Amino acid sequence: MKIFRMASATCALAFLLAAGAVSVARADAAPSASAAELKDAASKAPTTSTLAAGDPAGTITGTVSDVPVSDSKAGLSLGDVANQVGQNKIGINFTWTLICGFLVMFMQAGFAMVEAGLCRVKNANHTYMMNFFVYGCGLFAYWIMGFAIQMGGAAGNGNLGGLQPLIGEHTVSLFGKTWGLFGQSGMFLSGHSYDVGVMVIFLFQMVFMDTALTIVTGACAERWKFLTFSVSSVLMGAITYPLFANWAWGGGWLAQLGTNLGLGKGYADFAGSGVVHSVGGVTALAVALIVGPRIGKFNRDGSANAIIGHDISAVLIGCFILAFGWFGFNPGSTLGASAAGCLRIGSVAVNTMLAGCTGTFGALLYMWAIKGKPDASMSANGLLAGLVAITAPSGFVNPICSGIIGLIAGVLVCVSVAFVENTLKVDDPVGAISVHGACGLWGVISVGLFADGTSNYGGAWNGVSGSVTGLFYGDASQLVAQLVGVSTLVGFVFGFSYALNWVLDIFLGHRVSAESELAGLDLPEMGQLGYPEFVFAAEPEIMRTATPAAAVA
Amino acid sequence: MAATKSQGRSFTLFMLGVTVTAAGIAYFSTGSGKLALIGGLVVLAVSFGIFLKIKPDEGEVADKGQPATMRLAGVLAAFAGWAIAVFGLNLSTSVSGRMVTTLVGIAVSLAGALILLPVAANKNAIWKS
Repeated sequence: MKIFRMASATCALAFLLAAGAVSVARADAAPSASAAELKDAASKAPTTSTLAAGDPAGTITGTVSDVPVSDSKAGLSLGDVANQVGQNKIGINFTWTLICGFLVMFMQAGFAMVEAGLCRVKNANHTYMMNFFVYGCGLFAYWIMGFAIQMGGAAGNGNLGGLQPLIGEHTVSLFGKTWGLFGQSGMFLSGHSYDVGVMVIFLFQMVFMDTALTIVTGACAERWKFLTFSVSSVLMGAITYPLFANWAWGGGWLAQLGTNLGLGKGYADFAGSGVVHSVGGVTALAVALIVGPRIGKFNRDGSANAIIGHDISAVLIGCFILAFGWFGFNPGSTLGASAAGCLRIGSVAVNTMLAGCTGTFGALLYMWAIKGKPDASMSANGLLAGLVAITAPSGFVNPICSGIIGLIAGVLVCVSVAFVENTLKVDDPVGAISVHGACGLWGVISVGLFADGTSNYGGAWNGVSGSVTGLFYGDASQLVAQLVGVSTLVGFVFGFSYALNWVLDIFLGHRVSAESELAGLDLPEMGQLGYPEFVFAAEPEIMRTATPAAAVA
Repeated sequence: MAATKSQGRSFTLFMLGVTVTAAGIAYFSTGSGKLALIGGLVVLAVSFGIFLKIKPDEGEVADKGQPATMRLAGVLAAFAGWAIAVFGLNLSTSVSGRMVTTLVGIAVSLAGALILLPVAANKNAIWKS
């Protein structure tokens, strides 16, 4: 609050002073008039003794006397005030971005609860530990390499002071145009990237990256070897995620589709339906295809057995934590709360809320009407589906469209879960492929459909003047840019993730032994039960009669 | 089998290799950077060698393997679809033309991801036996 009060007071003062300066100049008065006004304002500032009496009303805290003076002999100057205004703008944006980053970081707790709750009790410790350790794996990999690949050429963000140390995008010339491929500066945050603005963007982007990584752990839960999970997560945080994120957010070739080929404003993904969720979702599909289904998931005729999670309360509370964290995810993606259209944060936050709401309705009503019960786990996935889908368009659409996007996502996640399980025969214990992959792709496409052209983040997006506008509001070329992004996700990111994890499967093996899987991974992999004092209920017949020998026969 | 000391040691080696390799790339312009890059890659190679050596310790897994040719076809189809979408942007300057080539590319990629690879994964699926 204090920083906001200071900002408001200083901005108002600067405005008055600037206005005063202009009128004085017009009247051909001496330029010292502004200095006189500053001196007058300084003389009226509360004295130390006045402040010592306390300020219960908050009216005398944060005044002209709080503006730093560069030359104490000359006193307060207009330059001092202007510098303070600039620093306040950056200070507000730093504070906003960091706090939103902290919220996103807390989403890890939500993911851990959702994933562990949807797994069996014998795998609780293992699932929680994957969600815990993926944070460290991702953070370390991103610090030493990933951040440089993603943001190493992303200089120019005025909201955070310019980020000028990040000027190292590697480019290639193709078809007469220059395309960004990957960043090159910022490894280890050393050298010139030891900069306050770079630190802020690192923290914010790091927690986004970690969100993508933790999606994979859900799809591969209950049979993923901890060693292979760790190596796979490091490589995803160092290479896979940063590459696509550079192309979309770091000044790479997807962002340049507008400037180079005239496709709308280039690939537009406000907060990461594609960059974060689809990257996580398609990687989850790739790894789930390699690791295979859990023992007992499918019968010989191919029909699927429902393997019920152990704690629906953890799932639902985890979902609320995620929904809370999403207020950092989407509104925080303005990377500021002052200037460059950042006041749209209110709209972004409301869009986020609404899509989560309609996503829940979509899934709950679908399950209730089709299956006969308002299924709790699918309702939870509906909330997440709505949030995932609105992540890309949240900064570009109006509330009605956000409601529609969320509703469609809520139904889509139910259909997709059934498709992945019954048609593809891919075992995804938490529905991560559908929630983050399918609904993430839908979010990317929805930008190209529903963006209403009213947003204005500094007058341009991806270097193209104007607002992001979708097909329904008159710009079909934006939809093409979005579809190129979709193609990159299902083509390059999926293919690359599959190839990378295939290699890991050859060297390490993704899957635990059948013996460990049947026993539950808590003891064999982690050495400790998640709930050592619980008396476990007997599992269904198919699980009780299974033996390691039969499972591998 | 399960998590073991060998796994822990090999993962530590892997992390060391990744870190030194990254440091080598970061300071490649210097002599010590080049040395670090070579050293890091060697450590990484050693860690992967140990990974391969201890892999059989895991014991039998509920997985009979997937046909490599079909898997390769699936991955190549995914990449090919992406290539069609990207290079197709230069075949036409019209929005509709570009949309068509992009959609064709997406369809090819999806065929790889949602048809070829799942078929490969389920070819020898353990649940069929």
